[in-house]
Amino acid sequence: MIRHIFTLMWNRRRANGLLVLEIFLAYVVLFAVGTIGSSLWENYRQPLGFRFDNVWQVNFLPGTQPKAEALGTLQQVLARLRATPGVLGVAVTASNTPFSFNDSRTAIDFADRPGGPKRPINNINSYAVGPELRDVMGLEVTKGRWFDQRDAVAGSHPPLVIDEQMQRAMFPTGESALGKLLTLNKDKQWRIIGVVRAYRTDGELKEPLPAIFGPIAPADTLFLPQSLLVRVAPGSGAALEKRLADDIRRIGPGWTSTIRTLDEMHSSQLKQVITRPLLLSVMSIFLLLNVALGLFGVLWLAISARRAELGVRRALGAPAGAIARLIVGETLALTTFGLVLGLLVAVQFPLLGALGERTSVYLTAIALAAGALYLLATICALYPSRLAAGIRPAVALREE
Amino acid sequence: MLLSYLKLAWRGWQRRKFFTAISLFGISFTLMMLVVLFALFDHAVGARAPERHTDRLLFISRMVLRGPESQSSSSLGYNFLQRHVLTLRTPEAIAVSEAYPINITLYVGQQALKADRRYTDSNLWRVLNFDFVAGRPYTATEVRDAAHVMVLNETVARRCFGTAAAAVGRAVQLEGRPYQVVGVVADVPTSRELTYAECWLPVTTTTADLQDPNNQRNYLGDFQAVVLARQAADVPAIQAEYQQVLRRLPIPDPEQFKEIRSYARTPLAHYMANHSNDAGQDGDAAAFWRRWVGLGLLFMLLPALNLVNINVSRTLERAAEIGVRKAFGATAGRLAGQFLVENVLLTLVGGVLGLGLAAGVMHLLNSSQFIPYAHLSLSAPVFGVGLGLALLFGLLSGAYPAYKMSKLPANQALKGRITA
Repeated sequence: MIRHIFTLMWNRRRANGLLVLEIFLAYVVLFAVGTIGSSLWENYRQPLGFRFDNVWQVNFLPGTQPKAEALGTLQQVLARLRATPGVLGVAVTASNTPFSFNDSRTAIDFADRPGGPKRPINNINSYAVGPELRDVMGLEVTKGRWFDQRDAVAGSHPPLVIDEQMQRAMFPTGESALGKLLTLNKDKQWRIIGVVRAYRTDGELKEPLPAIFGPIAPADTLFLPQSLLVRVAPGSGAALEKRLADDIRRIGPGWTSTIRTLDEMHSSQLKQVITRPLLLSVMSIFLLLNVALGLFGVLWLAISARRAELGVRRALGAPAGAIARLIVGETLALTTFGLVLGLLVAVQFPLLGALGERTSVYLTAIALAAGALYLLATICALYPSRLAAGIRPAVALREE
Repeated sequence: MLLSYLKLAWRGWQRRKFFTAISLFGISFTLMMLVVLFALFDHAVGARAPERHTDRLLFISRMVLRGPESQSSSSLGYNFLQRHVLTLRTPEAIAVSEAYPINITLYVGQQALKADRRYTDSNLWRVLNFDFVAGRPYTATEVRDAAHVMVLNETVARRCFGTAAAAVGRAVQLEGRPYQVVGVVADVPTSRELTYAECWLPVTTTTADLQDPNNQRNYLGDFQAVVLARQAADVPAIQAEYQQVLRRLPIPDPEQFKEIRSYARTPLAHYMANHSNDAGQDGDAAAFWRRWVGLGLLFMLLPALNLVNINVSRTLERAAEIGVRKAFGATAGRLAGQFLVENVLLTLVGGVLGLGLAAGVMHLLNSSQFIPYAHLSLSAPVFGVGLGLALLFGLLSGAYPAYKMSKLPANQALKGRITA
């Protein structure tokens, strides 16, 4: 039966060429949307690793003050902020704070064991943070420990915390990275003391990248961090914000600061990331609706053109169900032709590794798009098939 | 004759309202999307306030230092612009402003307000054409003396003081100091990346160190230059002069970097460069047009195919009509012409509907403030492009069905025995 339908449709391939082309294009559109959608969904499912409610970001500029003095002023500012009622915790950090669009990426050549073969790990988010960050952002330490008093004493190997994604990138086999040495910046070696769940500052919709954390000790004189993350009591508002800004300006001569809530930064970041996919899906929904209406119309017209043929079939004893199945089957056969063309295009992406998306995402998208296409075709064929099944042979044959 | 074609077309549409509706839906929504996309593009780079003279404006907003292993890119240092850009001889005027707006808090009495500021010099008001709603821009003297004055946009001024006119002369607290509002300008939408701000301040009132005396060789910083050419024809000369200046400059940190790259770009080129460090002076225009025109055509192809399919299917219905006309001597060319006219007419009706829909969507976008301060509208170029697209679409989707219809053999058509 199925073979019969395919043969029928194959023989009419010239007449249905444009329809197949349209179905093919529809599949390409579905595949593109499926890829973007499943990529976003895949990213969204991974843990974010921190809580951002009631956290404020304070950026400051020390004006003309020389760095050595600014470091001292920063300590005073920190002490002042920590003593302010309503402030639950303050952590210094480099400017790559959550949802800030700032990032600091590094790449390393990593060897599993000393002297072993090296392989590159690219796009590692690298964070310089104060030890208070864990409490301020609610980071979850899954193995080992976070920075603490022990790290204040300068050892031969400075401590480093990594996230689980980095752990997987270093040891895909599952060996623990704790206690291992990691070479960064040519020759300096860092000792891994802990693993945190995640710290995805790029936001929940961006691809999770491996992360490493280096500590900023209060005694650090090399690096002047210019961002603070502040956890405030729930319900804090403009009054506290003004107080913090005034305090910073009073303590630091010529200092200026900008305070934003992570909530607000999160929504503006989300808006920026989601706008294009959203626009694309609106356009595709419209395109698919268009295709569906067109397919429906063409099928409907085809039924009225084939009344005589269908009448003969009924007269020769074909039951109504068989006629309906024939119409739906024909449509699905056409869809399959378009789908095969579309698959030929779609499989190029995982095969060639184009656009740098994960293979699993492509495979999900290919399957989803195929399912959606069949569903669309079936829905379009249902009404015309019922129409065809309802043809009464006596009436249809007399028209001839 | 055209009149009878019109009558025929009208009757044809009425007979099968469902199919007419499908066709109109496809045409009008496709055109609506294209018109809205073009309006967004025009909104970002077209000649609108404050960038009225898009053909005479150039922006120097970014520098890339390249080495074999590392690359550093940023907007430009104030010091660099003073020494190497303000000294350019070809332009009519050059202004300096912060390259990116920075969010600050303004205090008016007990009220706190967030706003995006840019530090600028007084030339900015000459080079760009802001629409002043009230008051005046700050002057060169005020900038020289670091007077604490500011220009606000209309929305912020209204939020602070009720009306734009009431804001002029009043004081706003910023970073612990009172600034006097001297002028209020019409809102600049955020899609104007290079000129958008809500609050403009004299660059000399900043507490940041502009001169950076320790580091004469550091060209990077937080600023950009806005260059106005005397006439559009001078633009290439200015770009060449700037490249010549760059070639003479010593490279900072020669161990790390080997090359300085920076361009004076038109607003359109800046938009097309899309912040890429690899884009050239024209902002990779070729790649940009290839991508967008390609996507646009692909986007039109699907609805066009749809329309072709429906039209071809409908030839079956009209076989009898065609057969009669052929039998009475209508030539293939004349029949094809008729169907083409019919289809173009349908697309034009769809086009008008599409423009109406587009106006509705733009109104929605404007009132939702999804793009802050957006003011999308059906301007003349947008309208022209919309109609042009409708015609292109009509020809694209009408040609094949017309050809197919004109080729129907008369004897078979009369009998109504045609297979598609």
